[in-house]
Amino acid sequence: MDSVSIRKDLLNMLGEQKVLTEELDLMYYSYDSSFLTQLKPLDPWAVVLPDSTADIQAIMKYAYENQIDVIPRGAGTGETGGSVALNGGIVLDLSNFNEIVEIDQKNMQVIVRPGVVHAELNKRLAEYNLFFPPDPGSSLMCTVGGMVANNASGLRAVKYGCTEQYILGLEIVLPNGDLIYTGGMKARTLKNVSGLNLTKLMVGSEGVLGVITQIRLRCWPKPKARGIAMAVFDSLDDAPATVLEIYQAGIMPSGMEILDSSAISAVNMFKPEINLPEAEAILLFEVDGNPPSVEYEGNVIKEVAGRRARNVEWSTEPQRMAQLWEGRSVTATAAARVRSDGTRVFAGEDISVPLSKVADTLRAIRKLADKYDIKVVNYGHIGDGNVHTAPVINTSIPEEVEQVKKLVHEIHLLAIELNGSTTGEHGVGAVRRPYAEIEHGLAVEYMKKVKQAFDDKGIMNPNKLF
Amino acid sequence: MDFKNLPPVKEQIMKCVRCGKCRSVCPVFAELRYESAAPRGHVFMVQMLRDGVVKPSEEVSKRLTNCLMCEKCSANCPSGIDIHELNAAARSYISQTNPSLSKDLIFDTLWTKPALLNFSTSLMWGVQKTGLQNLARKLGLMKLLPGELPQAERILDAVPLRNARSMIAEYNPAKGEKKYKIGYFLGCATDLLNPDIALATIEVLTNNGCEVIVPRHSKCCGLPQIANGKIETAQRLAEHNSRIFNAYDFDYIVTDCGSCSSALSPKNMHFLLGETEYALEGEKFAAKVIDLSKFLIDVLDVNIPANNNARKITVTYHDPCHLANVQKIKEQPRELLRRIPGVKLVEMSDTNYCCGGSGTYSITHYQTSMKILDKKMAMIKLTGAETVATCCPSCTMQLNFGIREHDMNCRVVHPIQLVRDAIRRKALHSA
Repeated sequence: MDSVSIRKDLLNMLGEQKVLTEELDLMYYSYDSSFLTQLKPLDPWAVVLPDSTADIQAIMKYAYENQIDVIPRGAGTGETGGSVALNGGIVLDLSNFNEIVEIDQKNMQVIVRPGVVHAELNKRLAEYNLFFPPDPGSSLMCTVGGMVANNASGLRAVKYGCTEQYILGLEIVLPNGDLIYTGGMKARTLKNVSGLNLTKLMVGSEGVLGVITQIRLRCWPKPKARGIAMAVFDSLDDAPATVLEIYQAGIMPSGMEILDSSAISAVNMFKPEINLPEAEAILLFEVDGNPPSVEYEGNVIKEVAGRRARNVEWSTEPQRMAQLWEGRSVTATAAARVRSDGTRVFAGEDISVPLSKVADTLRAIRKLADKYDIKVVNYGHIGDGNVHTAPVINTSIPEEVEQVKKLVHEIHLLAIELNGSTTGEHGVGAVRRPYAEIEHGLAVEYMKKVKQAFDDKGIMNPNKLF
Repeated sequence: MDFKNLPPVKEQIMKCVRCGKCRSVCPVFAELRYESAAPRGHVFMVQMLRDGVVKPSEEVSKRLTNCLMCEKCSANCPSGIDIHELNAAARSYISQTNPSLSKDLIFDTLWTKPALLNFSTSLMWGVQKTGLQNLARKLGLMKLLPGELPQAERILDAVPLRNARSMIAEYNPAKGEKKYKIGYFLGCATDLLNPDIALATIEVLTNNGCEVIVPRHSKCCGLPQIANGKIETAQRLAEHNSRIFNAYDFDYIVTDCGSCSSALSPKNMHFLLGETEYALEGEKFAAKVIDLSKFLIDVLDVNIPANNNARKITVTYHDPCHLANVQKIKEQPRELLRRIPGVKLVEMSDTNYCCGGSGTYSITHYQTSMKILDKKMAMIKLTGAETVATCCPSCTMQLNFGIREHDMNCRVVHPIQLVRDAIRRKALHSA
């Protein structure tokens, strides 16, 4: 079918408020945060803005009958090209489908539509002394649907884990328009082992199996106290060593983050008021819980980190804590500040390695950056071995673009070589798809069979994930 | 204007990684929720214009102008992109290639000639006072206006008969010992729509040892031109105002309007004149420009005498975008209010949320502007304040309209009016 007819049909089905058909409007959906789409924006044939499960069922039935690709999209903050149309098709912008359907305080649960923004959900939950613990750096803009599709995690995954641990059930529209409920979507239980675990299958499936239209989330009681320690190191190796020593001291911080010297400069350039000290590395520890435990854990961290660190700052003062944590959460994009004529590119930015290999990894990345003569900013969730590397290049210089492609390829291979993964939390999408077979071998064939079972016509977000 | 070689266009577009943080702070996107209304979408479209992927057209302009230019996105961009400058540059580029007679008339001619602007305002006064406006409304003639104007024309406050310039002297000596020589930059909206703010400003400044000169030939600050695709006109205005004010040896150049002080700020003057032969002239001028509340608190440390008989009023303060986002001036207006005897300052939930006015946006995008205004009015209502203070005439007009539309028992003032009243009351009681 040609794109003009598709747009006409969608307009007839959903009305002009919910369908974008003008070429100019479609161009705005040609990107996410990936380097891939920065180099080559990819326009869809149509964009729809559904706000009900019925809308989505109608769209899927139509797409199934006419064999048209459908690409679900949240806030478009992903870094892998996962929410863009690689070869045309219909983009489903789910960010308008954003109702908090029910907050069930008594059962510690909340039901949301996929377009709810993470920070807004936690703001509402706070009124009930609850929270949804995964804490991506993009909290202010990313949608919960996107988090589920990517099994996102973030700064607090070290203690609270990833999104998958909080999904009790899902409502899914399948590629043929069928509606299914997985796990405990229709129950209010916290435990449920009945049936094949389709919920776990859907979480992290990046939109290749169906469209998430409703999510039942488990919430946690909001901790009453919080504290942040900042340890400053003159030697990069001392930072990962300290992380292991903190674990050995019996402490499980809610966050353990690392910033290398370039990341420190970037944060200070973005927010001078944060005023991070210059150092080879900084570790940020967050502890939460009840006040005495926070105080106890803070003291242990001060003592343990103090053995290697030049200085340890401990704060329970809300403004300073907010500054330090914000400093870390904005590093991703503030990285560009280290080079006035450069930008940060999201490529090779999310490898995950064993805890014992973090120091080796950071050293190896620096070596690779020197090899390709590219400035990199390293930061990440060191507590679970998730290293974020931000190459900063001038994208208008073709040689730099080519060099950075080689650099990130080697970073991905490095992760696999160190018994790690090419992605810890940002997902695979289109950009890490070439590594699927190296990472998973024969299992990829079974992944394809699973997709075939759900999506026999191959219309759901094709050419992503594997 | 060489669009493609303007520094922000040349250097900053590349820095946008489309992280989307701007989506989370943009008041327009919060209402519309489609990507062409997101600031990162504007950056993307400017890039497409620069690269020639799209042609400069009215259709592109329609999307780029769906933006308040409130600069909340720029203030929050982790990559440090001046999104508003990119947008302004693109609007101007499109205007150059798609000339519009009405825009030329309004922004190149009318708005750059104070006498003409004053004459038009007087005409408006006549239309309002003679009942012609009401008659036209009753006859349904307003419906003949284009676009959203039939609804938007109601936003305009009652226009005063006399503008500020006709009521104030060019030279106003300091009372008592002279501390500073001040140039008063009288903005168009204060002059024509809120003359009492100008009167209060001069009264308070002169009473506090400032010699105040109001240069007769100053013109518009250029912000309406920047927002409406007329950067070259804004450049000419910036050159003109720099020359006029630099001819004096002022200690400071004070303005009561947040939008004017943002337009005259060093950063914006650099944007306009940085690459021209007037760069130094503009720099010299901008270095002396200061917002009135900042001057009163940080420089003058103004003392408002205590008064046990002061009337108690509850005031809430609305942060104008151009003061809070652009100049980071939030504390000084509040401190000024706190120093006024009898004033109880209560904060609304999101003081820095735009009111949706933003100069001409409320007229060109009435529907969206009203949705944003409704949010602001709900916040104000919750404070229970009987007075809303703000430092921007555009916000004042928009909030006044909100008060009328929401049938609230409330008034909007500039903090300087409360300061003036407090000083006068004390003088009365002392007498």
